[in-house]
Amino acid sequence: MPDNWSYVFAAYGLAGVVLLAYWRRLAGRAKSLGARGVRRGV
Amino acid sequence: MALRGLGWLAVLALVAGVGAAFGYAPREAVQGNVQRIMYLHVPAVLTAYLAFALVFLGSIGYLLTRRPGWDRLALAAAEPGVIFTGITIASGSIWGKPTWGTWWTWDARLTSTAVLFLVYVGYLLLRGMIDEPDRRARAAAVVGILGTANIPIVHFSVKWWRALHQPATILGPEPSPIAAPIMLTLIVNWLAFTLLLLYLVAKRTEISRLEEQHAG
Repeated sequence: MPDNWSYVFAAYGLAGVVLLAYWRRLAGRAKSLGARGVRRGV
Repeated sequence: MALRGLGWLAVLALVAGVGAAFGYAPREAVQGNVQRIMYLHVPAVLTAYLAFALVFLGSIGYLLTRRPGWDRLALAAAEPGVIFTGITIASGSIWGKPTWGTWWTWDARLTSTAVLFLVYVGYLLLRGMIDEPDRRARAAAVVGILGTANIPIVHFSVKWWRALHQPATILGPEPSPIAAPIMLTLIVNWLAFTLLLLYLVAKRTEISRLEEQHAG
């Protein structure tokens, strides 16, 4: 059977992009909430 | 600080997992290198099961105690649970095209996994539709508990119905026929995904707590 490396890289690449995007969303939200907390003295 | 440490531990484990998937695990004799997608697909679904078990735990805990911490846990686990289920479906589909000759088939395992994904997408949408915190948490807890019933259906679907998807080779009743290097690579990746899940749940819980502080 042929190796189909393009499928392998597509699967890992897609998973990496999705997980990284979710992590960035969480990190951004935490940062903005933290900054608002500092401004309000929370 | 502990959360950051957990995050770095997860990153190191993921690097080790990818390294093992591409550098240590052998080329599979029948499928060739496309089988390496399984080091992503299988740990992703096991991690999704764990995430939804945490949703179940948080939902039961909230209904019994009405403490918001349980609801935070349920939400924090549901989001990565949906993501890991999405990765499971996408990676399985990408593997299926060269192996089965199709991106998708209405096989019992694939269909029940798609239903699992949609149930928890619905769980997240429901949370966004209700403003009052206690009502939102109660409604979400009911869906979170009922949604868990789909996990055994997904897992045993390959036994209960005639399916194209292969039967369980890790969580099955018989000893696993998988070769040691392949099994070890699966375990390393499963541990890495579990660490990543724990990190994401802890991070999301912290965000919910901060959001409640700002709202209150």
